[in-house]
Amino acid sequence: MSARLSEFQLVQPARIEDAIAAFVAKPGARYVAGGTDLLVNMRRGIVSADRLIDLSGVAGWGSIDADAEGMTIGAGVTIAALARDPIVISRYPAVAQAATSIAGPGHRNVATVGGNLCLDTRCIYYNQSEWWRKSNDYCLKNRGDTCHVAPQGKRCHAAFSGDLAPVFLALGASAEIAGVDGRRRVPLSDLYVEDGRAHLSLKPGELVASVHLPAVLAACAYEKVRARGAIDYPLAGVAVALMIAGGKIVMLRIALTGTNSRPFLLADVDQFIGKSVDDAMLHGVDRLVQRQVQPMRTTLAAAHYRRLAAAAVARRVVRRLAGA
Amino acid sequence: MTAAFASSRPGVPLIDGIDKVLGRARYTADLDRAGALVGRILRSPIAHGEIVRIDTARARALDGVIAIVTGADCDKTYGVLPIAMNEYPMARDRVRYCGEPIAAVAAVDEETAQRALDLIDVEFRALPAYFISKDARAPDAVLLHANKPGNVEREVHHDFGDIEAGFAAADLVREHRVSCAEINHAQIEPHACLADFDPVTGRLTVQDVSQVVYYLHLMLARCLDMDESQIRVIKPFVGGGFGARVEVLNFEIVTALLARAAGGRVFMQLTREETFITHRARPQTDVVLKLGMKKDGRFTACACEVTQRGGAYAGYGVVTILYAGALLQGLYDIPAVKYDGYRVYANLPPCGAMRGHGGVNTRHAFETLVDRMARELGLDPFAVRRANLLHAPMQTMNGLMVQSYGLAECLDVVEQASGWKERIGRMPPGKGLGMSCSHYVSGSAKPIHFTGEPHAVIHLKLDHDGGVTALTGAADIGQGSSTMVAIAVAETLEVGIDRIRVISSDTAVTPKDNGAYSSRITFMVGNAAIDAAKNLKKILIAAAAKKLEAHPDEIDCAGGIFRVGRGGQAMLSFKEVVAAALVDEGAISVKGSFTCPVEFQGGKHRGGAVGSTMGFSYGAQVVETSVDEATGMVTIDKVWVALDCGHAINPLAVKGQIEGQVWMGMGQALCEETRYLDGLPAHASFLDYKMPTIVESPHIEAFIVESNDPNGPFGAKEASEGALAGFPPAMVNAIVNAIGVELDEIPATPDRVLEAIVQHQRKVKLAQKKARS
Ligand SMILES: Cc1cc2nc3c(=O)[nH]c(=O)nc-3n(C[C@H](O)[C@H](O)[C@H](O)COP(=O)(O)OP(=O)(O)OC[C@H]3O[C@@H](n4cnc5c(N)ncnc54)[C@H](O)[C@@H]3O)c2cc1C
Ligand code: SF4
Repeated sequence: MSARLSEFQLVQPARIEDAIAAFVAKPGARYVAGGTDLLVNMRRGIVSADRLIDLSGVAGWGSIDADAEGMTIGAGVTIAALARDPIVISRYPAVAQAATSIAGPGHRNVATVGGNLCLDTRCIYYNQSEWWRKSNDYCLKNRGDTCHVAPQGKRCHAAFSGDLAPVFLALGASAEIAGVDGRRRVPLSDLYVEDGRAHLSLKPGELVASVHLPAVLAACAYEKVRARGAIDYPLAGVAVALMIAGGKIVMLRIALTGTNSRPFLLADVDQFIGKSVDDAMLHGVDRLVQRQVQPMRTTLAAAHYRRLAAAAVARRVVRRLAGA
Repeated sequence: MTAAFASSRPGVPLIDGIDKVLGRARYTADLDRAGALVGRILRSPIAHGEIVRIDTARARALDGVIAIVTGADCDKTYGVLPIAMNEYPMARDRVRYCGEPIAAVAAVDEETAQRALDLIDVEFRALPAYFISKDARAPDAVLLHANKPGNVEREVHHDFGDIEAGFAAADLVREHRVSCAEINHAQIEPHACLADFDPVTGRLTVQDVSQVVYYLHLMLARCLDMDESQIRVIKPFVGGGFGARVEVLNFEIVTALLARAAGGRVFMQLTREETFITHRARPQTDVVLKLGMKKDGRFTACACEVTQRGGAYAGYGVVTILYAGALLQGLYDIPAVKYDGYRVYANLPPCGAMRGHGGVNTRHAFETLVDRMARELGLDPFAVRRANLLHAPMQTMNGLMVQSYGLAECLDVVEQASGWKERIGRMPPGKGLGMSCSHYVSGSAKPIHFTGEPHAVIHLKLDHDGGVTALTGAADIGQGSSTMVAIAVAETLEVGIDRIRVISSDTAVTPKDNGAYSSRITFMVGNAAIDAAKNLKKILIAAAAKKLEAHPDEIDCAGGIFRVGRGGQAMLSFKEVVAAALVDEGAISVKGSFTCPVEFQGGKHRGGAVGSTMGFSYGAQVVETSVDEATGMVTIDKVWVALDCGHAINPLAVKGQIEGQVWMGMGQALCEETRYLDGLPAHASFLDYKMPTIVESPHIEAFIVESNDPNGPFGAKEASEGALAGFPPAMVNAIVNAIGVELDEIPATPDRVLEAIVQHQRKVKLAQKKARS
């Protein structure tokens, strides 16, 4: 039940290349940015690290660069800096909206964009003390061999609960990933895998260097459902990007968080292109969301509630963006 | 009765506030603990089972382990009620909840202590475990305590007035069921204890977070089999209690046992999770309530059945289940009241006392049913309450004395301030107003440990410096009781408050006090403080009279100046009078005391002492909410609350307490609850236990109503619990007003609200279908 951190070595590289080298040199190394997720998990004994590689001193890590093409956000940008950046607020208000809804003010001052995108998945059987998990014979995600949420299955359903990813997905973001073999740029959705135990597609040593947002004309908004108004992860979060011309939908992206082991873009929304936002369309959105989300008993709130709430919020955000 | 609004007097900041704000205040975990060993507790991984074997050999062999204690080291039970002590500091042959202490280690550092815990081998034989009252009460359920058949700790059956005639006389009789989740105090400071055992003298000193220093002193003596005179208990600054520390807790005794075993100092700080496991808060409660009402809103009868899931041990349980029934009375005039209460054992951490002790959940059931019935009869909720007011002074059927009663004024104030008359029925879609009343005792008139001694004693010391030191055992735990003592002494002596110094809760220095519970301190200790100050004043006046060569009756004392007759020429300053008094006496010590007369100590029926008090506080409030029907999210927009506290000795502190009560009631109503997964607490952090944050906290308009209680100190009654119970029903009534949907469960979490909306829509559709066919 102790909340002590175990011993680790701290490395503070100045360049990304050095960070990666420090990672591959030592098995059991972890990157740490703001530490607001990692350190909590280390204290609880669900994540262990012999070496922590502190990314906060990496050059150029924390900058936001905007031009006509769009915006590049360094992985080290803090959530607070993102939320108050004037260009973010004017061009991508949904990003600022999501950022302001993350944790509490103290967390946001140190928490980073990279850490938010690479946040560990969460489950009531997992985010507990060592004593708790041991008393419960651990679980698939950590030291055990059954899942208490779906005991018949072989996979972990812990939920991804970051607030930024859905907005970035809806905005069509790509991620720049740095690794031993250099850099690669992938659509953000490729970063994620539907597996609560290994929800990131990063190879050993790889890290997210930045996120690129294309210039968008679409209106975008984010809304999250939670049990209280601050310091609370989303039970379900929905981001919508919508463009309408002549009363008809020309572009629509809906992304969700909090319901699955990864944030994801809702599939089959192309059926709404050319349609107007009306009750039938909204009903269609509702059904799509309900069909595609997979909330499991990983939160204290009922799984069924997260399904209904995700659908209700999706409907509402689409309607609001359409001004209908 | 005359009532006035006291907001004209501003009041004074708490006398220890500066130390807290500047970070100078030292809480238990801040104390100098040089040389202290680290204590840690081994806790049960299972919810129910027999302990077959405990083997500490491997742990003892570890370098740096100084002492290990287990259940074998203490065969004395402890508990707050002399009639129900059924808990050992560490389990002896059976564990009854996940997290129950089994053994403890004192080691040179935390890491060693933790490693030692891992090396203690315990073998269990598991027993079936029960996590809800119904399962625990099943006929074939294994008994948690052999002497309690049916796993019922205490059954209460009270019957006052003619219940059948009451329901027969009603124009409308309705019954409903309400379930309130278990909640926790969630005080900011985690539990901590520093125990010092001197192996040479055999004396024990304990510094600790307790609200009941005297009870802790008693239980330490009992469990360590020591003479009371060899023990000293000191309370440093305490970071909140709300009832969490209102009975002696296992870790306190365990730390002392470790200190003695180690022959030295042991510091124990529980994690937040362990603090949650230590529990002792409000039980999950099922209420079935039936009311009879006349067309004009008059109550004719009330029948109430309460089942409390009390957890694994007795704790305060008997008192809680008695309160739940007793407090059905004393608020309104109800001709007949029947109460059936069941306190049930379950394999969960023991419940206990929490702000609003015993009354909150039944009040919730009552006030929400009153609203349902008022709607059915087309009556205004305010009118129904007004139709049932009491008239002080009076005595209720269950023997409770009501000497002052400001509820009518409270109703007027919040009705007006909230614009109720103009706004009710005209709220925009999704928005609603709801109201409710509540009350609470100003201290239990019959103490738990009855000794025949006064209910409160205060010592005052006056010496050459002209400062008055008040020594009180009353535990200031942030509620401001030391400031109240300072004001009571200063006002009685008619000197500035800066002349008074208060020393609280050190059993070697301060007189015994029963502690901070049942809102007893202002009423009882306040009266004792006034009594002591009057005694001191007599000495000073005598000294002044002698010096001024007058008769004591001729001495007028105001603003610290003593003169002969009002406006007399010859006068003496306070310091001069003190100097004169010391000539005769040397350093002066006086005392004052207060005792509740027997006629206030409750009805003659079994359990009649619980609920008895010298005076009830009364509250009324209006809550405005918005409900998001798509997500079930409830927002509290504004609260208007009035509390009759008799007289506000310190209006600033009273307002703070009113806001605190409303806020705590809001937590229970809106989002707070404990949740167990197979007996393991899934809520045991401030992330998962959803206390409201400042974001959800509404503007609270607090009003003080002063009904001037004839027995209260300066007319005061309690001011920190009475309004709490009003919030949950006012909120639920507001939700009905907003969306027409009734909630049978609290907290009103979004999933519960959405589920209620879905069920409601289903019912409406079904009804429409029926109507069509
Ligand atoms: C009380 C509380 C409430 C919270 N509420 C919310 C909430 O409402 N919404 C929300 O989204 N989050 C919430 N969080 C989680 C967390 O604060 C945020 O997600 C934060 O943005 C994480 O960023 P960080 O820099 O602190 O991450 P860290 O803790 O430093 O890292 C998190 C993980 O990401 C990895 N990592 C960090 N940077 C990179 C990178 N560039 N590339 C690859 N891997 C990387 C780390 O190795 C680690 O595994 C909450 C946390 C707490 C303690
Ligand atoms: S979903 Fe299952 S495997 Fe994953 S963390 Fe929860 S209990 Fe463990």
